[in-house]
Amino acid sequence: MRPGTALGNAWLVARREFSERTRSRAFVFSTLLLAGLAVVVALIPLGVRLVDQATISRVAVSSGEPGLAQEAVTTLGTFLDAPAGNGAGGGKVFDFVVYGDAGAAVQAVRDGGLVASMTVSRDAHGGLAFTVFNTGALSADRAQLLQIGAFAVGVLDWTRANPGATRPFVTPTFSVLDAGASAAGASGSVAFDAADYASRRIVGIVFVVLSFLTLVFYGLWVASGVVAEKSSRVMELLISAATAPQLVAGKILGIGLAGLAQVVLVLMPAVVALLGSGSIGDALLGPDAGTGASLSALSPGLLLAFLGYFVLGFALYASLYAAAGSLLSREEDLQTVALPLSIPAVAGYFPAVLALSGSTSWTIRLASYVPLWSPFVMLSRLAVGRVQPWELVLSVGLLALTVPLATLLAVRVYRAGVVMYGQPLTPRTFWRALRGA
Amino acid sequence: MSLVVNRLTKRFGSVVALDDLTFEVAPGQVFGFLGANGAGKTTTMRIALGVLEADAGTVTWRGAESRRLPRSTFGYLPEERGLYPRMRVLDELVFFAGLHGLPPDRARREALAWLRRFRAEDLAGRRAEQLSKGNQQKIQFIAAVLHDPAVLLMDEPFTGLDPVNVALLREAFLELRDRGRTVVFSTHQMEVAEALCESVAIVDRGRMVVGGPIREVRRSTGRRTVRIAVAGDHRLPWLAGVPGASVISAGMDRTTVELDTGVEPDAVLAAAVAAGARVLHFEVADPSLEQVFIDHVGRPADEEVHLAPVAEGAA
Repeated sequence: MRPGTALGNAWLVARREFSERTRSRAFVFSTLLLAGLAVVVALIPLGVRLVDQATISRVAVSSGEPGLAQEAVTTLGTFLDAPAGNGAGGGKVFDFVVYGDAGAAVQAVRDGGLVASMTVSRDAHGGLAFTVFNTGALSADRAQLLQIGAFAVGVLDWTRANPGATRPFVTPTFSVLDAGASAAGASGSVAFDAADYASRRIVGIVFVVLSFLTLVFYGLWVASGVVAEKSSRVMELLISAATAPQLVAGKILGIGLAGLAQVVLVLMPAVVALLGSGSIGDALLGPDAGTGASLSALSPGLLLAFLGYFVLGFALYASLYAAAGSLLSREEDLQTVALPLSIPAVAGYFPAVLALSGSTSWTIRLASYVPLWSPFVMLSRLAVGRVQPWELVLSVGLLALTVPLATLLAVRVYRAGVVMYGQPLTPRTFWRALRGA
Repeated sequence: MSLVVNRLTKRFGSVVALDDLTFEVAPGQVFGFLGANGAGKTTTMRIALGVLEADAGTVTWRGAESRRLPRSTFGYLPEERGLYPRMRVLDELVFFAGLHGLPPDRARREALAWLRRFRAEDLAGRRAEQLSKGNQQKIQFIAAVLHDPAVLLMDEPFTGLDPVNVALLREAFLELRDRGRTVVFSTHQMEVAEALCESVAIVDRGRMVVGGPIREVRRSTGRRTVRIAVAGDHRLPWLAGVPGASVISAGMDRTTVELDTGVEPDAVLAAAVAAGARVLHFEVADPSLEQVFIDHVGRPADEEVHLAPVAEGAA
């Protein structure tokens, strides 16, 4: 890009910003610290698996066929809670309870009294069909154990009903459904593989936390960069050499790229740890096909969505931070904008976390369209996978429309703000800056 | 075609920073923009640079409105000095020159040449935060001229410099002028303006007081000055007999007498002779810029003007 042109200048400012940030001691230390934390977080599923060994999952069993539920409970209990050989390291892991009413059992799951509800029914060929409802509390390991148990129930049922083996054995069907989604009625027919669902939630929470931290943290970098230029008075020279749009765009781009570089540096060791945690777990806790799948939900599409929402979300938040920073005179004043500016982000963080539990209430759906919140909430909804295409288009469209508006507003405030000194940051100051006075 | 400031008006809230300010700077001139702090010099420069918008009026250079011109038309040395503290001087200069469109290799060459002329080659590799204030100011000056702008706007460039650096900077100003560049600088130090400028404008509280070629400005009050040396009593007791003549500085060597409009210098000489004083030196001169300033504005230029604190640094 040619120096002196608008793009060339924005790029020059961005390059300077990127190199100053990435060479700073704060960057190196924070990257190391965050990378360490990310590795710890990546190993959490392993810890959860370890803890999982010691907990007992209460599962309801119900059936429309008299006696079948009791029979299943007996078989499952004998088979899965045997002292050894179930791959879970022995000990009682399930507590099966017979429920007469399948609906009541699912409700109990939703209420949190039960981990899952298993319904056993018989199909036209005499084979058994197992449907497990849960809200995500059933771990991948245990869902797999249940499937093994269900197979055993199917075999025993076949031998008992056909001593002469006149009917061929039909492999029992086994599916895990999301009880939460059935309740909301949004997409109750979507069947989730339990392991996949757990992985989606892990990936979702990682992305939501990451988006939240990066937007607020790097947004603050933008504000502090602008204030530093003002307080060192280099701004005077800067603003006479480049225009406000060039300076704002360059700063956002440079810090955005530095932030993205840090995210990549932080995530790489974490991804390695996550990929390796399966083998570590197998070595420590015995082989288990259910683990190592924590990243299965990390689809290219979701990664693209994360990047897209990061870029747009960062441009939006960074614009606001740049405008706020331009109205301050001293770096000490940064605290006065840090809190108010993080409020919209925090307000978006909560619905995003709620969305991860599979809730599709109207408030969460609405929050996923609001530009300040969509980078968290829609991302979270995308991670757990309950988004209609039109919703995504609306959410991204609104965000993409808001970004240039926010940037224009920021440039306007910035242009007036950078030459204002020593004034308190009040709505009046902001308004005056906006009017260019 | 020249730099024209035409009926410029700017308010900051209730404070009028510029009030219908008009003046013109011929190309290739060194022009002094004189006024106390708060007179509106910085605001005028910022409007010329396109950093601030005027409420009314325009600044044009060669007929085109300045804010529509590329920023590289101007080189600006702000009054508030500042550089990126952690950047190395040479990188910093190349960066700013780059913003004005200079390719890095050329910027580096020019920067080193300027550093040499300011006897500061050894600063190239240092971080800005390690420099003295005077050296930082030199670097800022270089940053303002590196891209060889047509017009230089310098806000109080001599403030804070030691005499050696003042001399270096003055030389640089004159050299730039000789190369056809237009240099506008603001100052409240009248003697600097007197020594350097072809034309000046005196502003007070955003209003033009007087402006034009320096000789005309010095004669603008209609007063004249007489410098006289007599043997014996240099307090000139006989001057009391000349109405409209008053001593403004008495010295063993020369005494400066200011004459009200209409009072002829001859009257002073006649009174001296009549009193029997032996006149050693007699010279008729225009008043100094400092005197002109005080006459027009009513106070010295280094006295602060207090505007309401709406926009410190913007006025």
